[in-house]
Amino acid sequence: MRFVDEFRDAELGRAVAGEILTAVEPGRHYKVMEVCGGHTHSIYKYGVDDLLPENVELVHGPGCPVCVIPMGRVDDGIAVAQKPGVIFTCFGDMLRIPGSDGTLLDAKAAGADIRMVYSPLDALRIAREHPDREVVFFAIGFETTAPSTALTLKRAKQEGLTNFSCVCNHVTIVPPLRALLESPDLRLDGFIGPGHVSTVVGARPFSFIPADYGKPVVIAGFEPLDILQAIHMILRQLAEGRSGVENQYSRVVPWEGNLKALEVLAEVFELRPHFEWRGLGFISQSALKLSAAYADFDAELRFDTPGVRVADPKACQCGEVLKGVIKPFECKVFGTACTPEHAIGTCMVSPEGACAAYYNYGRFAREREVV
Amino acid sequence: MSGLAPHCGPDEHCITCGDEAEPMRVVGVDTALRLALCEDGSGSRRSVEIELVEPVSAGDRLLVHADVALTNLGESA
Repeated sequence: MRFVDEFRDAELGRAVAGEILTAVEPGRHYKVMEVCGGHTHSIYKYGVDDLLPENVELVHGPGCPVCVIPMGRVDDGIAVAQKPGVIFTCFGDMLRIPGSDGTLLDAKAAGADIRMVYSPLDALRIAREHPDREVVFFAIGFETTAPSTALTLKRAKQEGLTNFSCVCNHVTIVPPLRALLESPDLRLDGFIGPGHVSTVVGARPFSFIPADYGKPVVIAGFEPLDILQAIHMILRQLAEGRSGVENQYSRVVPWEGNLKALEVLAEVFELRPHFEWRGLGFISQSALKLSAAYADFDAELRFDTPGVRVADPKACQCGEVLKGVIKPFECKVFGTACTPEHAIGTCMVSPEGACAAYYNYGRFAREREVV
Repeated sequence: MSGLAPHCGPDEHCITCGDEAEPMRVVGVDTALRLALCEDGSGSRRSVEIELVEPVSAGDRLLVHADVALTNLGESA
């Protein structure tokens, strides 16, 4: 397929790896964060890190939307799902995220009407088909997914549907990056920027990273050559002593983003004053709620929810993994008590989560395969 | 892995949860409803919202996430 096959070419990959080798200073250790969980998945699926020099370390960021959902929000979802007459809809991975007393899948087994959907539009279709039931969509995701929820709510409003509402957990990518950059735990040299979030928000919102922190950012696609080229572009900026936002994924990402999508987001959502992120704590203005014009569709206003903050299980070190402070295999329960089949932490549930990527592709230790 | 959603397996990107869109080809367009029938790489077809990327024509390749097109990549080669 065009734009896919040529970005998986092994020979070209080895050539870019050679260029990376010439761009690094011997004796210097480089830490590059891939912000997006999709990049983490690709890196381990294709063995991208095996092509990198020993002194280039990839650090996994907080860009897996399922992984950053705190337990209290899952509890809120389960509470709504258990209300009489409710059909609760969500994406597949959310079903297996642990709350303080089980998962949505457990609640489904206990009798709640919980259905997996592929998009919020599927949830809207269910609402049309069941006018006598309350249909609730549990919305998660960064700016890539938020437009889908926004357009769905616009359609619901236009159609005058009164039995549809949404528990909004949409988050935004810039505030957690700023929080990470302010964290004393972590020293990063550069960022691989999220490819598809940037199709919506554009490259411009990341300019604070070079401006305020002097670190390079390269927006990248999801094929192995995209990621290798982005790493090379970051290392080249560092070698030349400069920092800026560059767009490796220009075949897809416009600098200004999708202006129509940004308009729709501004109409349907407004920023929450603060929101809890798993492992990162409360971050100001980092999440979205429904705007006043769409308040009638806000499930948190329509139903009572516990709204209680719940601490993560003590054994779980998702927080450190999400901040890139430890590697997944350094977590005490990785691959033993916590596996994709029986996850304790969110990072093991979603295939985009760093722990699941390491587990599924057999990365149980620090050693890397020499290519 | 979970037996719940084929796309959530370890060998596939989780397109609905993972904030990663997929390229699809436009087969037909309903401009009144602002929907397009689109086909993915495996030949499976879905209805996609095109409001954010209009105008759209048959043959265009769209980057689609959760049934909403985010970018029009132009005509396929």
